[in-house]
Amino acid sequence: ALAVQAPAVLPQAAAEGREGSTEAPGLWESILWMAVPKKRRSIEVNRCRRRHPSKLIQEKRNIDVCPECGNLKQKHVLCGYCYAKVKAETRLIRMEIRKKEGGPFNAPTVETVVLYEGEKPTEKDEGKRIIERARKRPSWFVQN
Amino acid sequence: GSALARGLLSWARPERWLPSCSLFPLSCIHTSTSLQKLGKWEKKNLIVYPPQLPGEPRRPAEIYHCRRDIKYSKDKMWYLAKLIKGMSIDQALAQLEFSDKKGAKVIKEVLLEAQELAVRKHNVEFKSNLHIAESLTGRGRYVKRIRYHAKGMFGIMKIVRCHYFVKLVEGPPPPPEPPRTGFDQAKEYVQELRNRTLVHTL
Repeated sequence: ALAVQAPAVLPQAAAEGREGSTEAPGLWESILWMAVPKKRRSIEVNRCRRRHPSKLIQEKRNIDVCPECGNLKQKHVLCGYCYAKVKAETRLIRMEIRKKEGGPFNAPTVETVVLYEGEKPTEKDEGKRIIERARKRPSWFVQN
Repeated sequence: GSALARGLLSWARPERWLPSCSLFPLSCIHTSTSLQKLGKWEKKNLIVYPPQLPGEPRRPAEIYHCRRDIKYSKDKMWYLAKLIKGMSIDQALAQLEFSDKKGAKVIKEVLLEAQELAVRKHNVEFKSNLHIAESLTGRGRYVKRIRYHAKGMFGIMKIVRCHYFVKLVEGPPPPPEPPRTGFDQAKEYVQELRNRTLVHTL
């Protein structure tokens, strides 16, 4: 009886054994080769690393005063206050342009000139489109 | 379950994040911000010294200010606190304005508030004549939340908050200490040798 049953069982076991030996090592074996901390890092060692001078924030030596508004600015960057005020005025001019054009793709092929209160278009602004702004000309917006 | 609900309700309490009397300008209800227990740092502002005698050197004004439960890490905030320690207030504000860190904005607000307090309540004459004597961070109240990972795994994450403390003192900033040279170390060593005595003898 045993001699009859054995050949049916043996080839399967042999096949599984062969597969198991040629199979790549699973995660549970490769853990042995992973980089792992051996000991807990003490707080003294941690402090030496976290407070090393290379990790501290460096003091910035490129801060100046803006001559226009008096706020602080970095030497290689535009003054934030002056940029914000120019941006606000540009936004209002663009709103006027949008009102005049009345829709997308209506930009004219001529130049645009912005005129403030009490200004008349000169002979240089002959063929140009005129945008009116209802306020005094700001000191930083120089007229040509 | 019930603890989580209680925790959520305590988080959602409106008086924690609304400033007192902001939505009800006509009512004089005391909201919880004024009734919260004063911390040790806030109590340091309440000490009153006896009047100085005519011969004594003038005691410089000290202003203690802090902000509690800032949504930032105390370790990351420490780097900014270390940066401005010992600077004059103008220099500190300049450095913080151009720092890219999230805590820099918060510390700048705290310094401006403290400067305002100094001028209004603590009899400081010039608002620029202040320097930062101490600047510290502390751990705020942490909350634990679940962070969902793949394959049904989860981690417990901490929502981290910190406190920031600052002490302004009137007067120009003290000059920086000269670095310790080898000569100083040698002098100290020789002094230690000279301080040795014989113990348990006549």
